[in-house]
Amino acid sequence: MQRTLYASVAALALGTGFAAAQDLIFPVGEGAFNWDSYQQFSDATDLSGQTLDITGPWTGEDNDLFTSVIAYFEEATGAEVNYSGSDSFEQDIVISTRSNSAPNIAVIPQPGLVGDLASEGYLTPLAPETTDWIVENYAAGQSWADLATFEGQDGQTQLYAFPYKIDVKSLVWYVPEQFEEAGYDVPETLEELKQLNDQIVADGGTPWCIGLGSGAATGWPATDWVEDMMLRINPPEIYDQWVSNDIPFDDPQVVAAIEEYGQFARNDNYVSGGSSSVANTDFRDAPAGLFEFPPQCYMLKQATFIPTFFPEGTEVGTDVDFFYFPASAEKDLGKPVLGAGTMFTITKDSDAAQAFIEFLKTPIAHELWMAQSGFLTPYKDANTDVFPSDSQRNMNDILTSATTFRFDGSDLMPSEIGAGAFWTGMVDYTTGADAQTVASQIQSRWEQLK
Amino acid sequence: MDNIAGHKSGLSWVTNISVVVLVVLWLIPTVGLFVSSFRERDQISVSGWWQAPFSVELTYRTRGDGEVRPVDGGYVMEGNIFDTGEVRSSFEGGASTVSAFGDRGVAPAEYPAGTVAEIGDGETLQVNADGTYIYTSVEEPGNRGPRVYFEAETPPQFTLDNYRNVLTADGMDRAFINTLTVTIPATVIPILIAAFAAYALAWMDFPGRGLLIALVVGLLVVPLQLALVPMLNLHQRLGIGQSFLGIWLAHTGFGLPLAVYLLRNYMVGLPRDIIESAKVDGATDFQLFVKIILPLSFPALAAFAIFQFLWTWNDLLVAKVFLPSDDASKVMTVKIADDLLGSRGGDWGILATAAFVSIAVPLVVFFTMQRFLVRGLLAGSVK
Repeated sequence: MQRTLYASVAALALGTGFAAAQDLIFPVGEGAFNWDSYQQFSDATDLSGQTLDITGPWTGEDNDLFTSVIAYFEEATGAEVNYSGSDSFEQDIVISTRSNSAPNIAVIPQPGLVGDLASEGYLTPLAPETTDWIVENYAAGQSWADLATFEGQDGQTQLYAFPYKIDVKSLVWYVPEQFEEAGYDVPETLEELKQLNDQIVADGGTPWCIGLGSGAATGWPATDWVEDMMLRINPPEIYDQWVSNDIPFDDPQVVAAIEEYGQFARNDNYVSGGSSSVANTDFRDAPAGLFEFPPQCYMLKQATFIPTFFPEGTEVGTDVDFFYFPASAEKDLGKPVLGAGTMFTITKDSDAAQAFIEFLKTPIAHELWMAQSGFLTPYKDANTDVFPSDSQRNMNDILTSATTFRFDGSDLMPSEIGAGAFWTGMVDYTTGADAQTVASQIQSRWEQLK
Repeated sequence: MDNIAGHKSGLSWVTNISVVVLVVLWLIPTVGLFVSSFRERDQISVSGWWQAPFSVELTYRTRGDGEVRPVDGGYVMEGNIFDTGEVRSSFEGGASTVSAFGDRGVAPAEYPAGTVAEIGDGETLQVNADGTYIYTSVEEPGNRGPRVYFEAETPPQFTLDNYRNVLTADGMDRAFINTLTVTIPATVIPILIAAFAAYALAWMDFPGRGLLIALVVGLLVVPLQLALVPMLNLHQRLGIGQSFLGIWLAHTGFGLPLAVYLLRNYMVGLPRDIIESAKVDGATDFQLFVKIILPLSFPALAAFAIFQFLWTWNDLLVAKVFLPSDDASKVMTVKIADDLLGSRGGDWGILATAAFVSIAVPLVVFFTMQRFLVRGLLAGSVK
């Protein structure tokens, strides 16, 4: 009896030892990673016996990827971290902060929500030197720091969130082989892109697949189009004023951007299935048209995450590739990039929570996820050699070489607008309503909120 | 003569047919979901579930990858199109029939099978119906073989992978147990409380009884979403926090108004004579309740049990709010929504399968207890 007990304890110990070893997917000290930063952090931090709760929007595969990064934090500090992702995170976090059951750290995908929570006093501000760190170490650092700085309940303006894991939205996906067969070149300017549209139509093809459907969030892909167009025909300052409603939504400059989007989506020849199908097509089904023979469309404008919805076995870089949604040559506004990302906020302060934010400042925290998939970072010290493919490196280059970076405007607007009126307004516009009318309606909704 | 007993009216056909039509209409979504649960994501996005049992003409793209032999005046490559690397996995179940082929993506079915197509630069391509292809070139071809597009009959494909994924997912067994841990007490507790309350409201005279009943009925219209945050706050202050005890209390609270209302209406309809005779014989209220009312109210109790069981089993919202978010306390609905479906929920196959897996238990409960449900639904409606 005694012996079996010992044997099972030994087996258990072996088993757990094995499991822990397996958790670290890249062995410490090998490869192009900045292991020095890991060692330094590990030596300076000891959190044995502490636990840290994190909740965020990542589920499924993303959940596994984030957990693999957390494993290194646990290994380095001895703390135990529980991460749980939720499909309806934006609602869950509001409930849990209001009912005192908040986790230590919440990973929030919408800066607008961070601002709401900060103003209600549910967030702990980050250390002041973190602002300087972001400005110095992130590409376009000042815009990142501004994005995460909010006015708290006490009326003081402080940094409340740490941006980590960025998505680039200004991308156009295409199948290189089809471009090759048809003899098309990747357009370098917005004007060339428009010429390409006409050329494809003249050759009997359809340039675009656009799908706005997304359940309750139907319409959001159109807001990305409009935001990208805003940055391409107006200076970024106008974009900021639009997002903060310092210029009205129905300002001629905004209406012009909406109409610019309409040139693509409301032209029956330009869109697969005709413009009437745009609002009915699910954004997850839209990519399928690229891969059919004959191709239903040649291009798809969508963010970095879209390869998840490509047919199984599709390889980015060979079967399908992307180019930067080109900037206008006439306007000379540089290379604006539209993106989105997640923000780490402290919802219940503890040593471990502070230490985790410090961990995110180490290059290794970025590289570990970069080396897997679906991760981009503006962090200049992170070694881009660890990216597993050139295409991911190119994507990151788009992000780091951006002359202007702007966060997805619909995430910055109040949620009644950015996650409501703007979405439905864009569906109305796409299905035939007048741009001026739609913009005025959104503006009047916004005024009601003030 | 038409409506005499024993004679079938001509209209009964109409009735029968319309019943059948209605049943079929009602079943369509379920059947669609069922068929989809056996299909892969790519197939679901290519064709509808109603096309699943039939062969479909699909277009494929591949590249000739046979040996290149030099012959008089050029080079030849031969092989079978179904064996080429890019499409081999699609035809593992056996070869198919090629109906047409082409060499450009814009016209993938330019030439009927068997024709010799001139594809420019002195190259020819021939693909036969059985899949054999011959490619000739005057000059030595590069290291990449010729691009071939072809259209072929594809037999229907079904897979059990979705079920394998759902059933063997990490922690699914734990989630199943958790769901039972939530559901069973959350069904039993409200019944216990509501039965007592219903008896009191139906058969005991006390001042304000009518008002109390009106209050309970009034509570039926309060949306539970309204109570989530204050309830959880209360639990935190009481020290219950997010736990199984907390979710039992929450489900009990949310289920009570309907339970009390349903049971009270049923009990009020029980014959007064029995109850009065028992009272005359000296039965106390408690004896009356245990020995007479409870056994007689069984159909109503069972009906409510089914309602409450189904609703707590399917519940996602209350479980998310009142249970901690760690893996150890995830119930099945949360597990499916957050772990299996992935960040953007595009996996229809998994969704359909998960729906079928999670309705298995409620179906069993429903079919074993449905005779009570029918009787119970009439609870309080007929005197």
